[in-house]
Amino acid sequence: MRDAEREEVVECHDESNDEGEVVSLCSFYTGSGVFGLDTRKICEVLGERDVHRVPMAPVFIAGVVPYRGDVLTAVNFRALLGMCEQTEKSCVLVLEDDDAGERFGLVVDAVGGVVTMSREMLEANPCTLEPRETWLFDGAYKLRTGLMVQLDPLRLHPSRLAETGLFRQRINGGTDASTDRR
Amino acid sequence: MPDKGDVDDLTKEFIAESQEGLDRMERGLTELETRPEDGELVGEIFRVVHTIKGTTGFLGFDRLEKLAHAGEHLLSALRDGKVAVTTELISGLLSLMDGLRAILVLIEETGGEGARFSDEDGALIAELALLKGQTPGTGGSPEPGNAEVRQVAEAGTVAIPISPSTSGGLSDKTLRIDVSVLNRMMNLVGELVLTRNQMLQSGLAEASFPELARRLDSVTADLRETVMQARMQPVGNLFGKFPRMVRDLARTCGRSVRMEFTGQDTGLDKSLLEAIKDPLTHAVRNAVDHGIEAPGARILAGKAAEGCLRLKAFHQSGSVVIEVSDDGAGIGLERVLAKAVERRLVTAEQAATMSEREALQLIFLPGFSTAAAVTTVSGRGVGMDVVRANVERVGGSVEVESRLGVGTTLRMRVPLTLAIVPSLVVRSGGQSFALPQSALVELVDLPTHDIAQMVQQIGSAEVYRLRESLLPMVWLDRLLGLPPCETATQQGHYLAVLEAEGCRYGLVVDDLVSPEEIVVKPLSGVLREIGVFAGATVLGNGTLALIVDVGGTAARAGVKPVEEEMVELKTIEATTEKVREISLLVFEDRSRERTALPLSVVERIESVPIRQIEYAGGRAMLQYGGELLPLRDEGGVLVEMKAGQEHAVVTVLICGGVDGERKLRFGMVVRKVLDVTEGALLEGDRAVNGMDLALVKERVTVVHSESEQSKTAGWREVA
Repeated sequence: MRDAEREEVVECHDESNDEGEVVSLCSFYTGSGVFGLDTRKICEVLGERDVHRVPMAPVFIAGVVPYRGDVLTAVNFRALLGMCEQTEKSCVLVLEDDDAGERFGLVVDAVGGVVTMSREMLEANPCTLEPRETWLFDGAYKLRTGLMVQLDPLRLHPSRLAETGLFRQRINGGTDASTDRR
Repeated sequence: MPDKGDVDDLTKEFIAESQEGLDRMERGLTELETRPEDGELVGEIFRVVHTIKGTTGFLGFDRLEKLAHAGEHLLSALRDGKVAVTTELISGLLSLMDGLRAILVLIEETGGEGARFSDEDGALIAELALLKGQTPGTGGSPEPGNAEVRQVAEAGTVAIPISPSTSGGLSDKTLRIDVSVLNRMMNLVGELVLTRNQMLQSGLAEASFPELARRLDSVTADLRETVMQARMQPVGNLFGKFPRMVRDLARTCGRSVRMEFTGQDTGLDKSLLEAIKDPLTHAVRNAVDHGIEAPGARILAGKAAEGCLRLKAFHQSGSVVIEVSDDGAGIGLERVLAKAVERRLVTAEQAATMSEREALQLIFLPGFSTAAAVTTVSGRGVGMDVVRANVERVGGSVEVESRLGVGTTLRMRVPLTLAIVPSLVVRSGGQSFALPQSALVELVDLPTHDIAQMVQQIGSAEVYRLRESLLPMVWLDRLLGLPPCETATQQGHYLAVLEAEGCRYGLVVDDLVSPEEIVVKPLSGVLREIGVFAGATVLGNGTLALIVDVGGTAARAGVKPVEEEMVELKTIEATTEKVREISLLVFEDRSRERTALPLSVVERIESVPIRQIEYAGGRAMLQYGGELLPLRDEGGVLVEMKAGQEHAVVTVLICGGVDGERKLRFGMVVRKVLDVTEGALLEGDRAVNGMDLALVKERVTVVHSESEQSKTAGWREVA
């Protein structure tokens, strides 16, 4: 299924090439969803890394990773979506917050590739979305096989996530499995 | 004219330069007060103001120029000897300096010099003009200018706590570095690049690889040292701010104070310098307000009317010590104790049994202040506890010494740098953690079979009985919610006795890994909020370890800086003190005989392969740290070992003693180190073979005393 999506993404890339206003996104997968992040905000894709767990950290923090002489805090994207922990190794993206001048990590299941999308393809968040997701998601691009959800990199910053208080608790623990549609 | 909110490079440079100039002026002005005849000083101050005036005209800051111009006029009159140095004049010049500084800050923040406060300048300029026209010696007559000056001076003192933070904007972000240091850094970076290239080309298998690794090691060490050197700032930069502050303070408090500085060249990491600024300011303020008495009282006490405040900085065993001492009234012990009892910090019984030193440390307790009246300067109960907390936050310590009627000395000890911290790496719940050595008091082994008898329970709390005091125990894995480690449960745990912010507790960990010099990496805000970790570090094997915040962990575990407990401990010490208890290192040299050395004499315990021990003239010697140490082998351990194994390892205690002005060291070969414990010397038994005997845990133990060391010394000189 994942391979099919990837092809789809590449197709879109071709279509939108000659459009006027385009954005370049890095696609990645978590659970059954496809997500996209503006490539300008991504410093590096680290690939599979061991994330050092930090005891007593908020649930949405996966841990810390060493990166170019710094120790970055990594956000667990699965936890943000209310999914259970993944046992396999996962991919780490390094994002940069220009305002705070601080870098942080994002732990996702797998990274797809770079795609260019036309802004016209962007649909706003549906009004029925849960508050947590409304906060995270920044609309979605229509692909032929489904949707690619655009994320706002600034909102993924650990301290912003902590400020909102939306993610402080594991979201009604029991429903974890059901949200994970895989 | 630069745009609003945007400061161009030229202006930035001008601001930084002018701030530095004003710092020089500040120092100069306070010095001028003590040496009014010094023409050179006046010249220097004049030049600072003149430079500012010249440059502002060029940059187009009219308001600044006007003020500087007024100041320049006054200063040139002073230089030509038309006006004499008076307290009012100095105050006027200081407020001129404040005015200039305020405008500079405004320019730095907004890009413009602001027209809103222009009236205020007018008053200041008028005042300066008045001072210039004023004939010396008429300070007594009530002129409007005079009153204004006092007002300005008072306003200045109120602004002191604020001004360092506001004026520090740009100059804190820039740092002056010697070009030669920068060149050396660049050279080393070049070397680093070359080594990397060679490493990439050679590959792991090549024979030259170890050589390259060694080179990389030395380049890294050099580079680290150079960068550290570049970050070092003389303490004098910080001291320079005090004369002005002390002067203003002394005037508001009605004191007469002279300042003395020593060791201004002592280097300290820039970030640390920032960190100790507030505690030091507080200490100086305290010394002037509480320490030094009013001139009248001083004369009555038979001292000079002018008090003396000394700031001293020096290096001592890998840390920098900063002392603030005054020759004031000292701290009244009775008052301290009475206050402590009144504030219910200790009970009356405890107070009665306290020694002088312990009582003095009470002033560091939260909510303690002996000031009879709350003044504007200090005495609001927020005080020494904050000083202590601030210094301890950067891994330092504070202590106070005082003699009633003679003076008080506050001593701060801070590490040279924050970035690299010696620490002990431990494991708990399957993760590595680093404990800063500065907080580590001692380590205790807790084998599984002994754990039941060593650990006692009070309700649900576990305590460890460490030499007659009960130590609260904190299990690191349980505290952090980590799964307990299976092997540790079988093999036993270790107890790290930690002390920070007045809390003393035992942290139970699964295993000790190694002592390591770690590079501290800050954690992001979210993780700092947990309050248990001070940072993270990358260990030698490439894995990460979290650095335990010793104070934060105590707070999280509910360990409070319970002074009662400390006092209890101290009362025990106090009662036993009469029997002269000292810390002893107990070991076995002759078989079955327990021997001890005062712990203060033992520098290190080393395991030495027997092959390394050399003989000269029938005496055993050990080359140790570039020094030849004579070895004492009373139990014949060496002879016994020699016959047995070639590859054996013996335990050598490296002992140091001071004999007169010479420092003497020797090694003592022992069979086994047994314990570190308190012991009472048996006074009556001195005669037994010229040796001291002690009762250690109810067992007779021979103590090598100081007299024996000097015997060794004599023997060494013959050898």
